[in-house]
Amino acid sequence: MSRQEVLGKKPLMVLEKIKENLERLNEKMEVMIELQKHGKKDMQPPLADAPLDVMTLLSMPDHLRKTAMTVCRLGRATADETAQQTHRARAVESAYLNQLVLMGHMKKERKGRKAYFFVDRESQG
Amino acid sequence: MRLGKIVAVHSYKGGTGKTLLSLNLAATFAKHGKKVCLFDLDFRAPSLATILKLEKAEHWLNDYLNGTCEIDKVLVDLSDRVHDSGKLFVGFANPATEAIRGMSAKDRKWEMRALGRLLALRNALLNDRSFDYLIFDTSPGLQYSSINAIVSADLVIVATTFDRSDVDGTKRMIRELYDLFEKKTEIVLNKVLDISSRSGKEELQAKMKDVYQVPLLGVIPCFCDVLRAEGNVIFAEEKPDHLFVKILEEMANEIDHL
Repeated sequence: MSRQEVLGKKPLMVLEKIKENLERLNEKMEVMIELQKHGKKDMQPPLADAPLDVMTLLSMPDHLRKTAMTVCRLGRATADETAQQTHRARAVESAYLNQLVLMGHMKKERKGRKAYFFVDRESQG
Repeated sequence: MRLGKIVAVHSYKGGTGKTLLSLNLAATFAKHGKKVCLFDLDFRAPSLATILKLEKAEHWLNDYLNGTCEIDKVLVDLSDRVHDSGKLFVGFANPATEAIRGMSAKDRKWEMRALGRLLALRNALLNDRSFDYLIFDTSPGLQYSSINAIVSADLVIVATTFDRSDVDGTKRMIRELYDLFEKKTEIVLNKVLDISSRSGKEELQAKMKDVYQVPLLGVIPCFCDVLRAEGNVIFAEEKPDHLFVKILEEMANEIDHL
């Protein structure tokens, strides 16, 4: 690899890292915006593992139930994939999904630049 | 590619004819050449093992939900009972008292995992093994196992009667259960007296639509010979010319087109 190629790669990697961090910041801001919109009324204190059983689904507010049901059906999904099913904006789904993670009902796993959400049925209990 | 459907047969009260409807609907689909699997999800009062005279089983649906075996081990092939080109498999619930007691004592976490395993049937049976229909016969009311079945289903068929408390309870369940889960719901009105005329049927359909605000899939008159059979006859197979079977065939065709 030439010296020029090495020098050219480093700024690219830095930019990638900045982009990734900005995306994470963006997700956190989306959660905060959604929490403010709902006056924190749907928010429970963060729980380690709160089982997402059908009774919990029934007692959830409609907007979160729709998101949770979609992930249950898909098994594992990104905010984009969830939004395609619910016909709501990706940013809105991202906020709801992160809210479900904070509530302990879902897990989030990063693979590269994509964040996947899923219900971890095996480790819960 | 046309994907199969999961149909849950549910009711507010017991004794509305869920099992009779589930079994005969499954047999009707099989007679129409479909590949069908009927599941007994009424773990508190399992009845398919008795009705279908199951002699022995090494694995039950209880074991699949417990995570101790895969679904292939549970399914019993009863295709020889329907003499047409279709296939009929059944997943039986364990009728032993100890098993019923065990299933009644499960906690929320177990029920959550059971939901995951029911949801996994879509991939395992509809996608990978090309089943056309999975039919869930459920417990009445708001039991965990029934709500798990409803959440996993594409269509909920609610068996109801003219009993006043059944009508009220069914209305509540439509509003507070099926609607919340955004489930496609159809009503089957069972054990109806005096609906011989066409105008009587149409009037009844309009009335039911008004009461429940969901489509009416079918109206089944109160047949003395169905009651007299005491669960020993699969009408769809053994009495193909019976009016009950004709009604089931209409229902099956309608479900096919939903």
